[in-house]
Amino acid sequence: MKAKRKVVTSGRSVGASRQPTARRSRPAIEPTRPRARVEARTPTAAAAPTVPIPPASVDLSVDLGRGLVLPNPILVASGTFGYGTEYSDVVEVDRLGAICCKGTTLKARIGNPTPRVTETPGGMLNSIGLQNPGVDAVIDKYAATWAGWAVPVIVNVAGESVGDYVEVTRRLDGVPGIAGIELNISCPNVGKGGLQFAIDAAAAAEVTAAVRRATDLPLLVKLSPNVADIRPIARAIADAGADALTAINTLSGIAVGPTRQRPLLGNIYGGLSGPAVKPVALRIVYEAAQTVSIPIVAIGGVTELADVLDFLAVGAVAVQVGTAIFADPTLPVRLVDELAAECAARGLASHRDLVGTALPKKAAAPSAKGVEYRP
Amino acid sequence: MRLAAAELVESREILPGQWIQAYHAPDLASGSRAGQFVHVRTGDLSGMVLRRPFSLNTTDAATGIVTIHFRVVGRGTDWFTRLRPGDEVDLLGPLGRPFEVDPRSQHVLLIAGGLGMAGVRMLADEAIRDGRQVTLLFGAASSREVYPSSLLPDEVEYVVATDDGSLGHHGYVTDLLPDYEAWADQAFACGPTGMLAALARLAAGRRQRLGVATLGRKRGGGKQDPPGSTAARRKAFLQVSMEQNMGCAVGACLGCVVMATSGTPQRVCREGPVFAAEELAWEGAWS
Repeated sequence: MKAKRKVVTSGRSVGASRQPTARRSRPAIEPTRPRARVEARTPTAAAAPTVPIPPASVDLSVDLGRGLVLPNPILVASGTFGYGTEYSDVVEVDRLGAICCKGTTLKARIGNPTPRVTETPGGMLNSIGLQNPGVDAVIDKYAATWAGWAVPVIVNVAGESVGDYVEVTRRLDGVPGIAGIELNISCPNVGKGGLQFAIDAAAAAEVTAAVRRATDLPLLVKLSPNVADIRPIARAIADAGADALTAINTLSGIAVGPTRQRPLLGNIYGGLSGPAVKPVALRIVYEAAQTVSIPIVAIGGVTELADVLDFLAVGAVAVQVGTAIFADPTLPVRLVDELAAECAARGLASHRDLVGTALPKKAAAPSAKGVEYRP
Repeated sequence: MRLAAAELVESREILPGQWIQAYHAPDLASGSRAGQFVHVRTGDLSGMVLRRPFSLNTTDAATGIVTIHFRVVGRGTDWFTRLRPGDEVDLLGPLGRPFEVDPRSQHVLLIAGGLGMAGVRMLADEAIRDGRQVTLLFGAASSREVYPSSLLPDEVEYVVATDDGSLGHHGYVTDLLPDYEAWADQAFACGPTGMLAALARLAAGRRQRLGVATLGRKRGGGKQDPPGSTAARRKAFLQVSMEQNMGCAVGACLGCVVMATSGTPQRVCREGPVFAAEELAWEGAWS
């Protein structure tokens, strides 16, 4: 399948996909480059005299499968970083592990009525409503820019039917500058009476499998926390061919307006994010990590290095920073440096040695695909 | 746009619950224009995860001082009032697009409703500096909320309306517009959305009422500036500064949109906060 496109992107051949390249469309980048970058930009680690292993040997790369190797495990979350260009005045985007762009649909969407965002204790609610210009406009406007960046860009894909997801994916497939796809399955399935894909194992598996058939791009699927038990859903998505899981999407909530005459948000319902959701995210990553053998990218309330270490401990191989970017746009890049320094200070060769340390000891080691574990 | 630490120099409660704070931020003071805003981080990240947007109220390039003007409405603004001189805050800015004054405009009309004063205050300074005549129409609920004239430049003609009639005109500030629409070459407004919508309706019929002739080429014959462009805004009679709950303030999160007549949501933080009144769909945007 898809033979005609394989000719276009040589990076997708079997031989090339074995190489841990930082981005699929530019297989020429040698795998040692991320390591060199970390070495050059961790002055705190270099200055510490008691480091048993020099920071040069800290390897922060993360293999999410299918040749998608991130230079480091700090990603920026979909919806909080636009298309990567908005923050470029104040953030060194090329130092991020990856950028997950704004949710992209087949056709342009104008989104929900305002107000769309409001702060809540320790977090925020948003109901943007997937405002975006549509997949073709996104490709036209941003793909060329992304292709020139060292940082991999993962396009977040949303839809109202399996067909929507597949069509968006087909259009993204083979476009230079697109390193992977993250499925936002927390959308109502119009074909099934508005039931969300994410809360039904069969529907989640169906859309994952359909997208899997449509592309050879690395495929992440974003779990919703608004379910009774994540384990059967995570297992179904993994079995359907996802390369990695992202956990979690926002928690459903509402806020009340100042006059208490109606809910505050224009859409009534919003998604809760920020430090307030971190315990929920930890629980879901913890459960998913013991259920599936594919890598898990954690997201939910990361505001400091300790949060990153917590998520690694419950089995995530990478984390996404979201809401905290609004307060501190430079946080993700700083976390990269701090994580490298932390590993160096502990004498670790890689942050992967920190993955899964808080999981039950009987469970199988969590996946860090493409990586050899030291005994 | 850049991130900078700014030291609080002075903090004053100018009206009950309304504060003006002066910060030392030299880059902002010299590199900002009226209508732009800053996004300020509160000191408590775990409890308050969002920055707070404030219009630049005044800037002074010589001293490097910028001021912001706000009302205490919640935990964030309350946190700012408890800052002491010498404390530092993290400012992101300048953000957004400024007011665009037509170089030919001699008579500039500013219209502010309540806290909307914060949005247009700096334009008074700029217009006076550029040798224009400025009239400022200000509306508030009562005399207790009227912005002190001592905080305005002497050159500004200051006209007040109060809802309860306790000072100046008894009624809305929008009632005053017909008296000035012939005098004004351009008008710039900031305030509650209802007030701005009323002004937009009034301004839309101005040319007909005044019998302004369309000189030059007929419609369609000449070059049309695309809506939202700086050139188109500069020609607009009424420009409004919009407010919306804001997340990132750089255009990434799409939280702070207003609907344009074109049917495409416009980001207050990026395409705004200043818009030409005719760019926006004032009613039934998402229905």
